[in-house]
Amino acid sequence: MTELDETGLDGHTLDELSDYLDRGRVPADPAIEASPGCQIALRALERVRTVSASLLAGEARDTADDGWVATIIGSISLDARAGRDIPVTHSDPSARLSLTEGAVRGLIRAAGDSVGGVLIGRCRLDGDVTIPGEPITVHVDASVFYGERIPDAAQRVRQAIYRDLGRHTELVVEAVDVTVHDVQAPGTPGRTPR
Amino acid sequence: MTEHRDPAPHDPAPPIGDADDRTLAGRATDGDVRAFEVLVRRHGPLMRAYATRVLGSNAESDDVVQEAFIAAWRQLPDLEELGGVKGWLMRIVSNKSIDRVRARRNHLDVTEYDPEAPAAQSPARVAEAHSATDALSAALAGLPEGQRRCWLLKEVAGYSYDGIAAELEIPVSTVRGLLARARKSLMQEMEAWR
Repeated sequence: MTELDETGLDGHTLDELSDYLDRGRVPADPAIEASPGCQIALRALERVRTVSASLLAGEARDTADDGWVATIIGSISLDARAGRDIPVTHSDPSARLSLTEGAVRGLIRAAGDSVGGVLIGRCRLDGDVTIPGEPITVHVDASVFYGERIPDAAQRVRQAIYRDLGRHTELVVEAVDVTVHDVQAPGTPGRTPR
Repeated sequence: MTEHRDPAPHDPAPPIGDADDRTLAGRATDGDVRAFEVLVRRHGPLMRAYATRVLGSNAESDDVVQEAFIAAWRQLPDLEELGGVKGWLMRIVSNKSIDRVRARRNHLDVTEYDPEAPAAQSPARVAEAHSATDALSAALAGLPEGQRRCWLLKEVAGYSYDGIAAELEIPVSTVRGLLARARKSLMQEMEAWR
């Protein structure tokens, strides 16, 4: 194997070229861009990097078997997500009832998902939910299916959340804010680009 | 797309398996185990392939990936950039893998340790490789461990120089040196293969 030499790089080094690639070749360095030796080295470097980046993708294919996934899911602690206790009044004054914040978030997700064409993401309850009657604001992230009119979808989500929170909790909901962060094309996983 | 979508309430929600990462990470943060499971299926195989590279064998990689997901579930509420969940998961699995290597070596300097490459992936295999990916894979396996680890962290897990230095607990100058050597060897091997 021949020693890769840097003499053809018109005074530049591989390190320098690698940093140049890291910067996305911006701002353009005219000396590097005009050097045939550097251009060859940059192409070789880019090639090694591209192959590196895709290296594991091939090995990663088809290896998520159910048993393995089940083991992981079985090991996570669900208690971690209970959040605050939200009081619920009862006709018997000696009874102390409460709902967990986690359960209310689940309710909000289910309400939002039920309107169709929408998937709810993160959900936040702003305000002191532990004090009965205290007004709160609900914030939800949502991704909307391609073809939906976003304002309509957001309105349906808002209505469903008001309705279900009114039905199942005593929370005083002042506002429901919906942030649409993604429009999902039909049939394709709407993975967030890196 | 001219298809008219009826915004009736019985219109189904998009399947969660196709949801974007931000939606899934948001739901998992709020306690939706199903959403977390989709993330495990989507990114787990890549994490496992990565851990296998770093650990040099797949005997421990299942454990490491499992640990990584358990930690991820716990730490999700602290993740600010939900759309960047993939890179975040890769960093967690990198971290767990390196912890494992360190424990195994009993504080031996991770950058000095240089075990023989496994016979099945020795550099001699580079020439026989059928694809660029196979060739790079073999070339990578032939690198000293410190170089290989730095290369994986940078080009596969997307770490910065500073990030690698912090992860491996070595000076940034050492990281630069290891990466420079790795880069040179890999380019040389890949050009020779071609």
